[in-house]
Amino acid sequence: MSGIPEPAEFRAQVRAWLTGVAKERTARQEWGRGDDSVAVFENWTEAEERAHTDRIRDWERTRYDHGWGALGWPPEYGGRELPSYYEQLYRAEEDAFDVPRRTEVFPVTQQLVAPAIRIWGTEEQKRRWLSPMLRTDELACQLFSETEAGSDLAAVRTRAVREGDGWILRGHKVWTSGARIATWGVAVCRTDSDVPRHAGITVFLVRMDAPGVTVRPIRQMTGGSSFNEVYLDDVLVPDTDRLGPVGEGWRVTLTVLAAERLDSGGLGLDNADRALDLARHLPRPLTGGERQQAADLFVRALVQRLIGLRVTSALAAGREPGAEASVGKLHATATMRATTDLVQQLLGPRLAADTGEWGTFAWTEHLLGAPGYRIAGGSDEIQRNILAERVLRMPKEPKGAER
Amino acid sequence: MFRLDADPTLLLETEEQRQLRVVLSDLLAETCGPETVRQQTESPRGYDEVLWHRLAGEIGVHGLALPEEYGGAGYTFAELAVVLQETGRVLCPAPLLPTVVLAGQSLLSSGDRQACARWLPGIASGALTATVAGFLHPAQVTAERGPDGWVLCGEADFVPDGEGADLLVVAARAPDGERLFACEPDATTCDRTARRVLDPTRRQGHVRFRGVPADPVGEAGQAPAVVDAVLDAGRVALAAEHVGGSAHALDATLEYVVHRTQFGRVVGSFQAIKHRLADLLVAIEGARSASAYASACLAVEAPELPVAAGAAAVACTGAYRLATAEYVQLHGGIGFTWEYSAHLYVRRARADEALFGTGDDHRLRLAGLLGLTGCTD
Repeated sequence: MSGIPEPAEFRAQVRAWLTGVAKERTARQEWGRGDDSVAVFENWTEAEERAHTDRIRDWERTRYDHGWGALGWPPEYGGRELPSYYEQLYRAEEDAFDVPRRTEVFPVTQQLVAPAIRIWGTEEQKRRWLSPMLRTDELACQLFSETEAGSDLAAVRTRAVREGDGWILRGHKVWTSGARIATWGVAVCRTDSDVPRHAGITVFLVRMDAPGVTVRPIRQMTGGSSFNEVYLDDVLVPDTDRLGPVGEGWRVTLTVLAAERLDSGGLGLDNADRALDLARHLPRPLTGGERQQAADLFVRALVQRLIGLRVTSALAAGREPGAEASVGKLHATATMRATTDLVQQLLGPRLAADTGEWGTFAWTEHLLGAPGYRIAGGSDEIQRNILAERVLRMPKEPKGAER
Repeated sequence: MFRLDADPTLLLETEEQRQLRVVLSDLLAETCGPETVRQQTESPRGYDEVLWHRLAGEIGVHGLALPEEYGGAGYTFAELAVVLQETGRVLCPAPLLPTVVLAGQSLLSSGDRQACARWLPGIASGALTATVAGFLHPAQVTAERGPDGWVLCGEADFVPDGEGADLLVVAARAPDGERLFACEPDATTCDRTARRVLDPTRRQGHVRFRGVPADPVGEAGQAPAVVDAVLDAGRVALAAEHVGGSAHALDATLEYVVHRTQFGRVVGSFQAIKHRLADLLVAIEGARSASAYASACLAVEAPELPVAAGAAAVACTGAYRLATAEYVQLHGGIGFTWEYSAHLYVRRARADEALFGTGDDHRLRLAGLLGLTGCTD
């Protein structure tokens, strides 16, 4: 074990470093005070989103510059080549400190896009993109879904046509989070319509400030906007910004989607904990049924965490995680729904009308935001198809008339 | 508040545990197929006594988690959990749960070295079968000091393997408080009646004590704490069995739906079937995680054990209910026949919930442990 500290030693080192650069979170946030937001998707103006992003980015840079970012990456990208499990160890310690909470564009850049570049990028691209993305100098968003390509992502119609030593992109992408603040967009495009559809796809990195890129917020059912639609109107992309071979874009896309599934196992846990705190502090005794409902949410959240730990420990032991790696997102969305159900039961009318009381009507943000995650990042139904076909090896869905 | 601080490596199967699983599943495949299980349940003792001794002797299952000084192998409950997953998978009717887990843990938890030295080696070698009475359900057993020592009077119902077990560890009311006793009753002072049971692979009996000579185990007043510890161990053990049983139900159902053809397609190609089995997989992976965590907590005697055991009971009874219901339903008519094994698993899943509590019982208990009660003053 040359150069790899023992987990306990590593945690102590993390703690020591954090103590020097960040404030410890106050022992336990007092119930009834402070921020009572439980929003699943933030509802920020562009200026607010930029301000929050800058704050998070400052912290990520501090981490990276002191050798506590990119832990699992080789030294040439500013990392220490630690097992992937150490990132979780780091986070467990960081949780106790008052540092900015990462918004979605950060894990998308560091956990989804950077690893895909490492696998599919040229040496020049890795040199150019990896360190800046890991340090979050550059932020990347996903230009994946389209109005006619949701669950059936391989149906993308955004065209990329070769012109000289570049490509002209034309199309319309939807449900992109972080598009307003990202510097790069990872675009899944059709480069050949005359071959079976999975073979006609190519992936490009598009500069979000390139001429022809227009970002418009989508107002979602929460009333706020955290997603965007992105118009690509004859956007010129140099061939050096193509990720992976022409026609191999579907495999590049799957790399990103697999990382996304793995990354989504922790969703909803903070709010589940918050709902359990509500059950502890409700100013009346809970009925038997309410106690059972609260305990059930506790078990769900515990199980979701344990599944995550099993995945991490399998990775730490150098094993390919099994079925546990694919069930995480379905557990997460079920936890989010169970959280809504418990809160609904406990708050009654105070969830339907705002009395101004702390920590009550704020839960409408969770209630209205949670359904989004059953659709985003591979809908619950797609997750079930994946489990049935890839883990249980059941017959594939019959394809429709188009190829 | 409860904080999950588990060492994730404890949730992973070790190489040694994997080997144990392979050896055991080979032995059980050879000795505990669906037909033989049925035959065993109809035998006088309700299980295969030859297999019982092979498990104890060849593999050392009984003594696996018992200390070496009492004839055990000195491993932990994490290894025993591997065994219980495999025996649970085939519904092996051997009374490991009452003997090794319930009676074995009672003696160990009592801290009574003399009692441990007297009984545990017999449990480890397979020479003794054992169970507990007055632990799981309210019972009326009293202990009195007679001229020749302690005697037990009263009755206990729903005693696992109550008719046949050699050794009974009994929670009884003594003049100086609740106390544990051990006895090997015979018909002159004890009536033992087998109950007709929902699950034929796990017998239960009614026991009437009519002045049964018994030896005290541990100190007076200690019984409630030991009973709590034994119930937690029982919950963790059942959770492991349920993971095995649920995994079998999923495997058997998968095997069926990818071969059964209707409407010109294998029924497993219909999304209605695929999504249900995907949901079952999600439930089973959750159950497996909760069971592994609870076993690890029991193995290292972690203070989180009561919560971990309750959570595992919730997750695993829930998964087993779902798995056995789908086992029947997705087999269609064949799943509803007497000859097919599915109903044996339904019987096991439902009867087991009467042992240590239903999912809702465990939820209520967890809410108390975790303070999920609102303001009660």
